[in-house]
Amino acid sequence: MILRSEAMHRLVLGAVGVGLFLFIWQLVGTYRLAGMTWPPLSDVLIFISDPARQTLFVRAMGASFTSVAIGYVLGIFCGVAVAMLGQVLPVARPGLDRLVAVIHAVPLVALAPIFMVLANRDLTPPAISALGVFYMIYVATTSGLKAATHSHRDVFSALGANAATRFFRLELPAALPALVSGMKLAIPVAFIGAIVGEWFGASRGLGLLMVSAMQNFQIPLLWSAVLIVTTASLALFGLMSLVERLIYGRFR
Amino acid sequence: MTEAAIRLDRVSKSFALDNGKQLTALSEIDLTIGKGEFVALLGPSGCGKSTILRLAAALETPSTGRVSIEGREPQSLSKAHRLGVAFQDHALLPWLDIFANVALPFQVAGRKVDPSRVNELIALVGLEGFEKARSRQLSGGMRQRASIARALALQPNVLLLDEPFGALDAVTRRQMNLELQRIWSAQQITTLLVTHSVDEALFLADRVIVMSGRPGRIIRDIKIPFARPRLPSVMREPGFHALVDELTMALEPELAAP
Repeated sequence: MILRSEAMHRLVLGAVGVGLFLFIWQLVGTYRLAGMTWPPLSDVLIFISDPARQTLFVRAMGASFTSVAIGYVLGIFCGVAVAMLGQVLPVARPGLDRLVAVIHAVPLVALAPIFMVLANRDLTPPAISALGVFYMIYVATTSGLKAATHSHRDVFSALGANAATRFFRLELPAALPALVSGMKLAIPVAFIGAIVGEWFGASRGLGLLMVSAMQNFQIPLLWSAVLIVTTASLALFGLMSLVERLIYGRFR
Repeated sequence: MTEAAIRLDRVSKSFALDNGKQLTALSEIDLTIGKGEFVALLGPSGCGKSTILRLAAALETPSTGRVSIEGREPQSLSKAHRLGVAFQDHALLPWLDIFANVALPFQVAGRKVDPSRVNELIALVGLEGFEKARSRQLSGGMRQRASIARALALQPNVLLLDEPFGALDAVTRRQMNLELQRIWSAQQITTLLVTHSVDEALFLADRVIVMSGRPGRIIRDIKIPFARPRLPSVMREPGFHALVDELTMALEPELAAP
């Protein structure tokens, strides 16, 4: 009961915080406190909901969210696969760690133009997105695979578990909480990757919309695109937080 | 004593420390445990008693000497899924319920889970009704019961218990000692119990081995005369007190000096 009221308390505080943020946005926009380039929230919402612009937004959203989805799924798949390779082949582990660290040390923004000339320009957003997600998931999975306690490992050893049994019955389930936390943190990364990838000249998408709106001084359009991306990213992040809670409750 | 179940033959074990030095945990240990015998290893912390248990559990290999269980290497028994272990940390898997935890050795051995055996063990350790519970919902004593049930699942050749009740409060620990005696009487399995509680060792074991501090050596080997089944009242008998005093003195020689 105490726990429930505490959760309620946090929910209310969160809602108040979001409400306050939106209210200040509206206030600053209405009274032009930050100049002409800060429109009130209501203007942006009206702009988005105008039926004449439906096709524009739906098309851009379709392109961007597809990139995000492909990048996210591909990044998770590769991250888990490479981390598992390091687990199965301990010899390769230090090399893999270093390789992944080097890849991560190269700024994604610097890689985007290279992808652009290397491959189809519409492949750049999902590729950049996948790269960012891959790093997050690799780190989360490798640390998760180490999460099983010494006594758990001892029990499996004494019971005569072979490597496969140990992996599937102990190490993998013990890694799930860390993996899911990584998947949660990878949501905004997937969005950043896709949007940055689109800036460099994809043929459609919200990132492209942002760049062209900025260059053509279409202020409400720019804010609309940003609002759509932010809302989608936050919503998925919230959803993954719920999944994370569920997994933590069951696997820890 | 009948045939030997666990034998340590001039076993020494040293560990390499980070600073390059060698730490000798055990030196020249000779120990024979008979089939069906319950032996308690008693000693101050750091005397290497857990190392002996880990050698028998195939979790360590001796630096010199030989460890054998029923004439075989511990590793070969472990591979054949013939060892039962329980540690101070219950080591139940948090994502499995109690039934699945007790059934784990079947799955590790690649065998079909025998539900009637698992249920029988859950009943033996007094956890009926908690089959679907998770370990975090159980008390410390109940977790240890589940952990012991898991150790017994495949009817192992030896049962190795490393301070299984070390993290429990005194009252629960006393109850668990009674429970363990009852469970052991039902199974009559060769058991090695590592403990630092003199009462626990005396109440449960057929023989108590006392070890000295580092490097670990066996300094006493005492047969415990009390008839089984032992009632808690045995702990109030003068003979019990005399043995408690004797073993306590053996553990802390400096107290024996006037």
